[in-house]
Amino acid sequence: MHGSILVVAQHTKGKVDVVTYEAVSCAMKLCKENSSHLKIVVLGDQTELIADEISKKTGINTIGVNNKYLNLYNSEVYIESLLKLFEQLTVEYVVIPHTSTGYDFAPLLAVKLGASCITEVEDINTDKDKPSFIRAMFNGKLYTEVVPNKDVTIITTQPGSWQPMKDKADKKGDVNIIRIDIAPKNIKSIALKEAEFKENELNSSEIIISAGRGIGKRENLSLIYELARLFPKSAVGCSRAVCDAGWLDYKHQIGITGNTVSPKLYMAVGISGAIQHTSGIKDAQMIVAINNDPSARIFNLADYGIVEDLTQFIPLLIQEYKKLFFSQKP
Amino acid sequence: MKILVCVKQAYVPSSNILLDKDPPRIHYNTGGFKINSYDEYGIEEALRIKESASKIDEHTYVHAISVGPDRVETVIKRAMEMGADEGIHIQCNASEELSPYQVAYLIASYAKDKQYDIVITGVMSDDGMYMQTGTMIAGLIGYPHISSVVLQELRKDHSLYIEAEHDGRRRQTFEVKLPCVLTVQSGINKPRYPSLSNVLRVKKQKILKIQATDIGIPEAREAIVKMFLPNIKQKGVILDGTPMEKATKLLKLLHEKSLI
Repeated sequence: MHGSILVVAQHTKGKVDVVTYEAVSCAMKLCKENSSHLKIVVLGDQTELIADEISKKTGINTIGVNNKYLNLYNSEVYIESLLKLFEQLTVEYVVIPHTSTGYDFAPLLAVKLGASCITEVEDINTDKDKPSFIRAMFNGKLYTEVVPNKDVTIITTQPGSWQPMKDKADKKGDVNIIRIDIAPKNIKSIALKEAEFKENELNSSEIIISAGRGIGKRENLSLIYELARLFPKSAVGCSRAVCDAGWLDYKHQIGITGNTVSPKLYMAVGISGAIQHTSGIKDAQMIVAINNDPSARIFNLADYGIVEDLTQFIPLLIQEYKKLFFSQKP
Repeated sequence: MKILVCVKQAYVPSSNILLDKDPPRIHYNTGGFKINSYDEYGIEEALRIKESASKIDEHTYVHAISVGPDRVETVIKRAMEMGADEGIHIQCNASEELSPYQVAYLIASYAKDKQYDIVITGVMSDDGMYMQTGTMIAGLIGYPHISSVVLQELRKDHSLYIEAEHDGRRRQTFEVKLPCVLTVQSGINKPRYPSLSNVLRVKKQKILKIQATDIGIPEAREAIVKMFLPNIKQKGVILDGTPMEKATKLLKLLHEKSLI
């Protein structure tokens, strides 16, 4: 390995997002724990505190790029700033968290650098001379191992696939703050709007019954609600596809761009289990999946899987419940 | 105003993916090809921009483009039947083996001297899920771009007000000057059905055909060296038996854990 590995940190409103430390874990694996060539870069309008926090936590040299036009993310400014930085550094890999910010600029950076671009990396194979990158296709039904062939490779790390790097108490990385005041030309970043529904019963429910596109039609939501009624203190959640179809409001959405939940029981009904959804299930004591597609990715995560047509199985389940718990013969 | 909407025909099999191991290759079942769901939102959004532009007295044309073999004509026609004015087909065999960069290069090569005001793509495809192509098209043409768009509004000064999805159910808002590229997120709109008048028009209409080899397909910058099906992890148990038996087993399990 001759060039640097650069991790681009992600931060929101003065806080370092955990995906940054996930990306650092990935970078550490890439350099086989030899972090001498590893650097982290933070871009923003006042990066001193964040750069300091990152260098303390990771022990890795951190560069803070201050740009007065970056009180909010802006792709034009990020790209021009990174290109300017690369005039000083020989970079071999750039590691970016795969978030709505990350995938907004990563492919553009690749085009500008003539680099290879591999997105949503879930793992790295370091057995051979050159590392290869593992990513999913077809909603998680297939995995591929990808090898770049250009001098520079841009990778984005799949949130939830990497353990965030743990604190390095022994040493603190150097912090270097530089100023690059490049203005955006065509894109003006205006504001970051908060979600309408912040307090949500989903975040506090012990039992979540969740519907996916596999329920087939809006009317079948009644099955989900009937199933939820078997459990006291339960809430109904869903995958993004159900919201996109207009069957449930987005406040029920569980996933990267929706709610993150940690229930005692998560029942995934008609959910394929794509990582954008399942990474919203932060911790669940038990996951039960009901799906009629045995190759659905959800079965890799479920503690208990049932390969059945939900429209047949749920009424049966409710019927059996009534038999088991309510048939008290005098 | 001219809008180019990029449409992919994605491979969306309903059950297992069949694989050749060496060299790694997918067995494509012709019945598994469908219009990329994210691009349906793209077509619809293009048509909505056309409709709002006509209110401020602007002639707007929507062109639909796709890269692939003969079968992708279906998705170009779908876009036209929804209301796109013209269709462009970059003919290319085995397009399912192209990387996002290669597809972006082909589309950008076609589009760059055509003065499109807006280029729209879905944020990703249902099969590859790379989330790169739209952004790369922007980089190759030299247009600014915004990805993951959930709302757009055309302003009289020919700029766009955009809301883009951000994590944790937030939205970042932008103003972008035309020309630009937008990649749209699912749920941005409700795609319309083809109309009868458009269907009849499309029956008589020609689609512009361009050979990808005439443009020149660039070399891929990455290679897939292995494909594999995910392992079912050991910790999970697939319940067996009749549906009734599975139901009973499940209820007993839940009851044992005091969940029900």
